[in-house]
Amino acid sequence: MSVPIKIVESNDPMADPWRVAIVRPDSRPSARATEDRFVMTFPHLIVREVILFQLVLTVLSLAAIFFDAPLLGIANPLETPNPAKAPWYFLGLQELLHYFPPVVAGVLMPTLAVIALVVIPYARINLVAGPLWANASAKKAIALGAAVALVALLFGAFACWPIVVPTLALGIAMFATRGWERATSVRRLLWEVTLPEWIMTWFVIIATLLTVIGTYFRGPGWSWVWPWENAPRG
Amino acid sequence: MPLRRLFAVSSLLFLVTLAVSPVKNALRPYRFIQREFRDLGMSRATSRKAMELYANRPVAIQQIWLRDFEDRVDRCTTCHLGVADAAMRGAPEPFRLHPATFHTPGGFERIGCTACHGGEGLATLQDDAHGVAQENIAPMTPATFIQSGCGRCHLSATVPDAPTLSRGRALMERAGCYSCHAVRGHDAYRSEAPPLDAIAIKTGAVWLRGWLEDPRAVDPNATMPNFHLGADDILALSHYMFGRPAPDALARRVAAAAGEPLGDPATGRRLFSESRCISCHTVDGKGNGSAPELGTIASAATRGWLIAFLRDPHAFNPRTRMPRYNFSDGDVRDIVAYFDDELRDFDAPADVLEPLRVNQTLAAKGATLFRNAGCGSCHASGPASETEKFGPDLDGIGDRRAASLDFGRRRDLPQTLTSWLVAKIESPRSFADGLRMPSYGFDADEQRAIVTALLAHGAQAVPEKLRHSATQPVAMIPGGRVGELFSRYRCLSCHQIGNRGGDTSTAPLTFEGSKVNEEWLVDYLLLPSSLRPILPERMPILKMSREEASLLADTFEKFYVDPSIVEDPFAGRAESDRDAAEGERLYTTLGCRGCHIIGMAGGYYGPTLTEAARRLKPGWVFHFLKNPQGWRGDIRCPNYALPDTDALRLTAYLGTLGSSRDAAAPATGKESTR
Amino acid sequence: MRVSLASRVRGSAVYRSIVRHGTTATNRNRSLVVFENLFLHVHPVKVREKTLRFTHTFWLGGITLACAFILFVGGIPLMFYYHPSVPQAYRDMKELQYVVDNGVFLRNLHRWAAHAMVLVAVLHMLRVFYHRAYRPPRQFNWVIGVLLLLATLLLSYTGYLLPWDQLSLWGVSVGTSMVKEAPFIGERIRFYLLGGNVVSENALLRFYVLHCVVLPVALLLLVSVHVWRVRKDGGVQGPAGAERKNEP
Repeated sequence: MSVPIKIVESNDPMADPWRVAIVRPDSRPSARATEDRFVMTFPHLIVREVILFQLVLTVLSLAAIFFDAPLLGIANPLETPNPAKAPWYFLGLQELLHYFPPVVAGVLMPTLAVIALVVIPYARINLVAGPLWANASAKKAIALGAAVALVALLFGAFACWPIVVPTLALGIAMFATRGWERATSVRRLLWEVTLPEWIMTWFVIIATLLTVIGTYFRGPGWSWVWPWENAPRG
Repeated sequence: MPLRRLFAVSSLLFLVTLAVSPVKNALRPYRFIQREFRDLGMSRATSRKAMELYANRPVAIQQIWLRDFEDRVDRCTTCHLGVADAAMRGAPEPFRLHPATFHTPGGFERIGCTACHGGEGLATLQDDAHGVAQENIAPMTPATFIQSGCGRCHLSATVPDAPTLSRGRALMERAGCYSCHAVRGHDAYRSEAPPLDAIAIKTGAVWLRGWLEDPRAVDPNATMPNFHLGADDILALSHYMFGRPAPDALARRVAAAAGEPLGDPATGRRLFSESRCISCHTVDGKGNGSAPELGTIASAATRGWLIAFLRDPHAFNPRTRMPRYNFSDGDVRDIVAYFDDELRDFDAPADVLEPLRVNQTLAAKGATLFRNAGCGSCHASGPASETEKFGPDLDGIGDRRAASLDFGRRRDLPQTLTSWLVAKIESPRSFADGLRMPSYGFDADEQRAIVTALLAHGAQAVPEKLRHSATQPVAMIPGGRVGELFSRYRCLSCHQIGNRGGDTSTAPLTFEGSKVNEEWLVDYLLLPSSLRPILPERMPILKMSREEASLLADTFEKFYVDPSIVEDPFAGRAESDRDAAEGERLYTTLGCRGCHIIGMAGGYYGPTLTEAARRLKPGWVFHFLKNPQGWRGDIRCPNYALPDTDALRLTAYLGTLGSSRDAAAPATGKESTR
Repeated sequence: MRVSLASRVRGSAVYRSIVRHGTTATNRNRSLVVFENLFLHVHPVKVREKTLRFTHTFWLGGITLACAFILFVGGIPLMFYYHPSVPQAYRDMKELQYVVDNGVFLRNLHRWAAHAMVLVAVLHMLRVFYHRAYRPPRQFNWVIGVLLLLATLLLSYTGYLLPWDQLSLWGVSVGTSMVKEAPFIGERIRFYLLGGNVVSENALLRFYVLHCVVLPVALLLLVSVHVWRVRKDGGVQGPAGAERKNEP
């Protein structure tokens, strides 16, 4: 039965609120009772944090004791090492430079990557996505296949194999999971992977691959070398 | 609770791991070494005070900080604690006293250690300091090449107390390294390689082929290296060189000379020995060796060329060191006849001096080869600055890191700069195909000397204050008529004036005017006699005219004097200082006779003193006797530290020698005894 | 009962003026420990037990923070021995290695902690992504996280130049030459970064200021906001679990 409700808003901080919520008998909020147990921060969380810090420092100290940070000769603008390599976290970019002009590889792609990262929480697809093949349709499959092929062709046009190969591999993997809805354990887990997660995985694999190639497989003139041919690295 | 145990474990690991670095720090080797030194010092101490000094030394890093010298810091003395401590003579390393050189052990505070030894002065651990297998540190100079350290500051060609370095520098000059490799300070270097524009009128194709195959096989004195040319290349080069037209004037001279009648070999032989050619040349290996071997000269050059050359060597090669003798036309014919008669290769084919009929295609190929093989760097016709250096710069080679060197095929070599350099000089082309540096055939000692000289070329020039160039004055060579004579007779090929000249003669001419009497000098120039019997090299008889000899002697008398050598050393001295008899007694007591001849008796080592009064000026004699090594650093006449009185008496005695020849007493001596 | 030394100390006026909570094991005291402490009170007094599990977040955010702390604290002694000028900077690296007590350890620790921080930050980001912990209301915190990642990379990059060895010079030359490819503003940005047209003393000084002042302050501020927002959003979010299917 509805009773007319009058809502009065007030800006007076000293006013007592009369009613904060009206619960109609026929509309009960269905709250899921979560069984979260709470514990005291101190000691449970604090001690874990202390242990974590100790372990981190111990591991890093062991690394510091056994491995020396490199120090080459003094900087000499007249003597360019061959190859001149950026720090490892930029080597993926430097490897990309090998395939694409600097505007693309050095500016465009990193900028796009950062923008893509920033936008993730605001893109609807990330928020609502279910497993890739949950609402499978032929149209979707074709669209996906076309997208994979397009990406592979685009990068293949620049002979960028470190990107083409994982793209194709992941494309195949994606389509392989299509029928695994009723499978068990690992296959089921793979079936549950959402499209955004596939895309991020693709990104991580490519970034890792490019970085590894740039670190270990590139020698003088950015030519291809096998790591075991070059005894000391870089 | 497992968490508590985990906490205990992680805390323990944490503490232990963090303790490692401070413990390593406290256990640094230099602390133990310093304690060892303290004990050693105390055991070697000869007094209680010295013992206490050793005992009270704090354990700390020692360093020499040279603010003016590239802000260097040398911490070698943290472990090498005894390098300046006389008590540590013969001690075990690293405490031993440094071997005595001009700069050690007294010069550490001024020069430090790494300036000579290399290595990483900042380091406090042995491997780091010695530069063993480190990427960013230049390793210490190995002991065999240690004299390269001297060469970093001492830039002159000859460095006293550094014989290996001096030898290396001399070898590099002689071999012509600077013709192809640019080095700071040697930009104006020209090699003694002759111009090649007159080959066609000089020699034959067969001889040239033999020469290009291996110059040393043809002439052991040759400075030209072996370019390992193939037969095709030699052929092309021969065609090229024979295709180059000889200058008209020279061609005419040679043609005219070829038509002249033959001379007399016997006269020629006499002239040859009078001219003392072997003071520079060798015949069958005997002689000085700084000029070509003449044993087969008649099979190397045509008769016409030899005659034309002997008449005027400077026309054929303006940079040759050979003087222009005053031979008559007949003299030259006789000498060349002597060559033809005895100094020929009797096994040579008959056509050894036949010229080549030039094929233009091959000649063009040869021209390219001439450029690509680097012949033009030494056999250059233009000024030094215009010639492109064929090889890489050698500036900074002494500081090159081994990692930046290309060892190519030579995997057998240890990866060090010194072994690379030695191997490069020993067999330059063994590193890879296509390398163009020729082989010089240096033996192991020569290689070592050259590498020592190379290692002295640091990446940065040493600060001006610390650089040490020769203390000799810059040579003043006059122009005009006298300059022409100096040039014609090539005095500087054998003698030194100031910082220029050759080493063949032991008599520097820088202050000759202070040393010898003008009259004697004129006579000597006209007919040089043997002043020092022990030496094989003699001054050639140049047959200069009296007018020329007087002019030269006058020049020396007037300009080549040392103001610190007084004319009359007896001035203002007591009468007893002029006692010649006492001087004679001194002569005997000091044993001068062991090296010097007077009359018929005495030793051969030093110059004869029979005519000392006629030759030498008393002022110079006195000056010399007071300090022989001041005149020339390597003189063997001992320095007896004579007091003035004794030196004057000896001078007086020497002033009487040779007066039996002349009715008049020595000119200056007589004047001063008024 | 004998009064132990520990309880004597704990009962003293001095101690009680510093430590305001009691020592008996009561929840009240445990709460006080957390919210009366400046540094600890970013935590809530109680936390969900499930967030304590290792597999909840793999503690990656915490590891990143620990690395950052090590870098901050370890960086300061390094600053005492470093002059950002040429060629003194390189000399100082050698002095650190050879002469400074524990210099080798400090430098190595700083370097490996830096590499570790970049790596773990990326892993943390991936963990958050795969757990979808960026969903409302946590979206903006994710953006701050991306900014933190950029700050971390820049810190690592600016620090890379400071030893002034061949690796530094050429690594930075390669990187900044990529910057100038940006249309219109690329050259300008590079000029401001380097204080010139090539990597030189000016670049060293600028990178030093960025590395030791500007970027650490930025990082500190961003981390503070980041952690604060985690707290305000209800604590760390691990695997979505049962809520996965019907989040808003």
